[in-house]
Amino acid sequence: MRDLHSALDAAGPQAGRIEDLWWIFFWICTTVFALVLIALLAAVLHRRREELRRVDGGERSLTRAVGGATAVSAVILIGLLIASVSTGRAVLSLPPSDALTIEVVGHQWWWEINYEDPVTSHRFSTANEIHIPVGRPIRVKTRSADVIHSFWVPNLHGKRDLIPGHPSETWLQADRAGVFRGPCAEFCGAQHANMHLLVVAEPPAAFEAWRQAQLQTAPPPATPLQQRGHAVFLSLPCPTCHTIAGTPAGGRVGPDLTHLASRRTLAAGALPNTKGYLGGWILDPQTQKPGTKMPPVAMQSDDLEALLSYLESLR
Amino acid sequence: MRPRPRIDVASLPTLAFGPRAPLWWGVASMLAIETTVFALLFATYFYLRGNESLWPPAGDPPVGPATAGLFLMLLSVPPMVMTHRESGRGRRLKVMRFWLIVSMAIGLLALGFRIAEFGELPFRWDHHAYGSIVWAILGMHGIHLLVSGGENLLFMALLFKGPVEEKHLLDLRLNALYWYFVVAWGIVTYALIYLDPGVLRS
Amino acid sequence: MSVAERYEPTVDADAEEARQLRETWKSRSGLIGWLGETNHKKIASRYIVAAFVFFILGGLEAALLRFQLARPENGLMGPDLYNQVFTMHGSTMMFLFAVPIMEAVAMYMVPLMIGARAMAFPRLNAYSWYVYVIGGGLLYGAFFLNVGPDTGWFSYVPLSGPEFAPGKRVDIWAQMITFTELAALAAAVNQIATIFKYRAPGMSLSRMPLFVWSILITAFMIIFAMPAVMAASSLLALDRLVATHFFNPAEGGDALLWQHLFWFFGHPEVYIIFIPALGMVSTIVAAFTRRKVFGYTALVLSLVSTGFIGFGLWVHHMFATGLPQLGQSFFTAASMMIAIPSGVQIFCWIATLWSGRPRLAPPLLFVLGFVFIFVMGGLTGVMLASVPLDIQVHDTFFVVAHFHYVLIGGAVFPLLGAIFYWFPKMTGRLMSQRLGKWSFWITFVGFNLTFFPMHILGLNGMPRRIYTYRAETGWGDLNLLATAGALVMAFGLLLYLINALSSWRHGAWAGDDPWGGEGLEWSVSSPPPDYNFQHLPTVSSRAPMWEQGPDQPVVVGLRSDRREVLVTQLIDAEPDHRETLPDHAIAPLAVAIATGVTFVGVIFSPWAFPIGLLVTGIALVGWFWPRDESRELLEEQP
Repeated sequence: MRDLHSALDAAGPQAGRIEDLWWIFFWICTTVFALVLIALLAAVLHRRREELRRVDGGERSLTRAVGGATAVSAVILIGLLIASVSTGRAVLSLPPSDALTIEVVGHQWWWEINYEDPVTSHRFSTANEIHIPVGRPIRVKTRSADVIHSFWVPNLHGKRDLIPGHPSETWLQADRAGVFRGPCAEFCGAQHANMHLLVVAEPPAAFEAWRQAQLQTAPPPATPLQQRGHAVFLSLPCPTCHTIAGTPAGGRVGPDLTHLASRRTLAAGALPNTKGYLGGWILDPQTQKPGTKMPPVAMQSDDLEALLSYLESLR
Repeated sequence: MRPRPRIDVASLPTLAFGPRAPLWWGVASMLAIETTVFALLFATYFYLRGNESLWPPAGDPPVGPATAGLFLMLLSVPPMVMTHRESGRGRRLKVMRFWLIVSMAIGLLALGFRIAEFGELPFRWDHHAYGSIVWAILGMHGIHLLVSGGENLLFMALLFKGPVEEKHLLDLRLNALYWYFVVAWGIVTYALIYLDPGVLRS
Repeated sequence: MSVAERYEPTVDADAEEARQLRETWKSRSGLIGWLGETNHKKIASRYIVAAFVFFILGGLEAALLRFQLARPENGLMGPDLYNQVFTMHGSTMMFLFAVPIMEAVAMYMVPLMIGARAMAFPRLNAYSWYVYVIGGGLLYGAFFLNVGPDTGWFSYVPLSGPEFAPGKRVDIWAQMITFTELAALAAAVNQIATIFKYRAPGMSLSRMPLFVWSILITAFMIIFAMPAVMAASSLLALDRLVATHFFNPAEGGDALLWQHLFWFFGHPEVYIIFIPALGMVSTIVAAFTRRKVFGYTALVLSLVSTGFIGFGLWVHHMFATGLPQLGQSFFTAASMMIAIPSGVQIFCWIATLWSGRPRLAPPLLFVLGFVFIFVMGGLTGVMLASVPLDIQVHDTFFVVAHFHYVLIGGAVFPLLGAIFYWFPKMTGRLMSQRLGKWSFWITFVGFNLTFFPMHILGLNGMPRRIYTYRAETGWGDLNLLATAGALVMAFGLLLYLINALSSWRHGAWAGDDPWGGEGLEWSVSSPPPDYNFQHLPTVSSRAPMWEQGPDQPVVVGLRSDRREVLVTQLIDAEPDHRETLPDHAIAPLAVAIATGVTFVGVIFSPWAFPIGLLVTGIALVGWFWPRDESRELLEEQP
């Protein structure tokens, strides 16, 4: 899973440029470090002449050495500065206007994702999982609904803080398919540790299929068990916080559940998306993610069965 | 072994003014600290202003009591200078006391106007960020007016009650320095808060 | 040529004078005596002990964090406790240990190194210590009552604001800041006045020991940096207590304002910790290579420029916030350029080692360890200065590695060396060399085992301040290694502590000058008499103990029936006038208590501020009102 969130396993142009810069810095700094250590050890261990009378020549040559080392350091630093600024300019510039635009909104402790589009009916919302087509630039607009969070997908790009009152924009691009993990990278309270999003980069056709599915409202419950589950959902406090498009549930406090079953994880990457974990999560979120804002909901076990069956149908 | 050569300092004076005195450095450092605080509050003012298109957001602070207070602060400086001077020249208690009382009385009036100024502000500290920073700056300066005014009062008490030591002349001079500091920041504060909205508008 | 000879009493007057000085300068006995102490060495000793107590507490907190993170999904601590513990660890180390310990060592050593009997404002030192202890007590009292702060040592808003951090935790943190910064400011003001005006005749600024230079520069940095965090924490307290809107975006406030104010302090803060350590390194290098440090002028200029440039770096903590590129590039340039004066110093020390005769005693070992660790930390700092690199590794364990390398390497290692070096002067006994060497090597190895893996963890996506992580992340092994390393490091530090404590009781007697040091502190007894010098020295060299001869004059004529000191001129330290210092005073404690009542009260009610101000004012009158031992009265009296 190392590759899911490594800055040294670039899957996109920005992370690639940054990784290149990293190796330049790494080798230069390692060389400097080695030279300093060698000088230090030589200074301590070298054999000294019997007389240690300091002749002027001695101090002068030391002065030259120190001066020379300083000058070399300055030149190296200027070189690194230039490399850094030029890389920065490349990775921080915004994409061409045909980018796909996504809005990422940070909440304590989940990610709201809104796919934007000039046409209203082509917009949709999801949570905690972003799909992008390979090879296309993605404009990511960032903001926060509560405290400072930070959007960071190491394989693709550096991070951008989500600061209330300071909406911002960054951009991403994946050049190969894969699933990449993005932990929240700014301490945001009790469950900062369990606030991850997934970025799924897929071939354009697969992405388009996913996008079309996301645009649909929730499939109506097919089996009697699912219908019962649907009724249970609407009778519990769930709609206060959650939306399932195509049903009366329209709460916007918590993640959009319309296509819950299409996601790989639950609770912002805290849990795998399986029936067992989903059941445990609904009954007692505090055990899985202490401090989370979702309250425990008690119900009969057969109601739970029905509810889970319904939720699992939300692809 | 023979003893070392000696430098005898017994006849050196026991009082010095200005940067010769360690206490001067102590007070100067304290004034540097307070200057930094004021500068940061002013920077905060400008930073918050940069976010807003309408500043002040709702209603200008009224210029009346502040202008009166500023005028009084300026007026309080010459008598303080007289005290300052006397401490270095004649050292006559009566003279120092007289000018100190004059300066102090004017200063207390200035403080009164500052208190009135708060009452006249059309916004509270909890209305918006502008209110918060204006109250903070005026409050910070008001505290200095109070403390410096209080220090003047204590010197009054000392000059009347005694015993007055030589080193109190240094203290008196540093007290004057603090008062000049408070007046100087009063001028800057006034310019920031009362001239700024006007400048913005024009 | 032993300078100790010069203080042999050769005439009866000298012996009588010494007896009088002892009498005049001695501390009062009993509890009241202890509470009213104003001797800089005694207060500094308390400060050092208190700071090390906080170091141990901070270390225990670190151990808890490491135990929790050693395995994925560990159950040692839940998020609430973990968040308190890492907040306490950072706050303790930065506010209650690192700055105070440097100020404390300076408080002890600077007057001795400049040839003075005392510091300029003896009561201010006492006030500083009391306020510091109140601040630390407030923080730990809250922690043990489970209302410790939990929003990180830099407490970003809005998480720490009224909406998302209910209760008093953050208010307690904010007031702890007030206390510790007041204490540091008081100590800094004292250092400036003392260093400028109390230097021995002939000790011009260009003959001042490098450690004294470092403390002078640090004091100025404190004066210009600490107010920023006091302002920030006060504005936060106001937002929380009386609903101001400094940081509330909904009403025109700005969450980034906090970051600017905090880091305007926060960056100089690390140099405030680091620059005194650089002075310690110069001192140790000179003593243990038996030559004056190479490049005095370059070293002074490096310290000064580091101090200045340090104020121009703060935005590098905010590179992920999306600020304009041009501005960010400026801060990148400044953050890289500050490496140059640091580099100059390293090169000068290497040159000194090269041309001297090094003795590998523990202080020098700690300095060698410092070079290794600090240079590595400085190089990762150059990496972090680059915006593209920083936006990948900001807020990850890479940064945790970086700052522990520069702080532990750059400050703690020199400190451990300096304590070893000055321990004999303070206690009269030597620490064990053998135990010292073992403690060095074990700490050095343990440190690297703990923190090096964190660079890799950060590059592998591990963010900071997470109480747990899943096994699939693959972070488990390196975290386990780091925890094991932490245990090794703790053991090394424990050995050092044992060395210090047992040597204090049973160490070999040191004599005045066990190391053959170059500074004036080695010309007095170990420990020094209360009055430091019977006859103040004069100075004609940067290395008085090595280069001054038997004809170097001493100062006579200061009164011994009062605590009289010599004030000299700023640049060339010509004798200027004399001053009498207060002896015992209980007022600093009273004012500290009043200060404490004010700022602790403010946590609960805004009315505590005006009331507290009044009470503090009254206590201050008690401090400054002349007592009956009137001297040099004005001719004319009321």
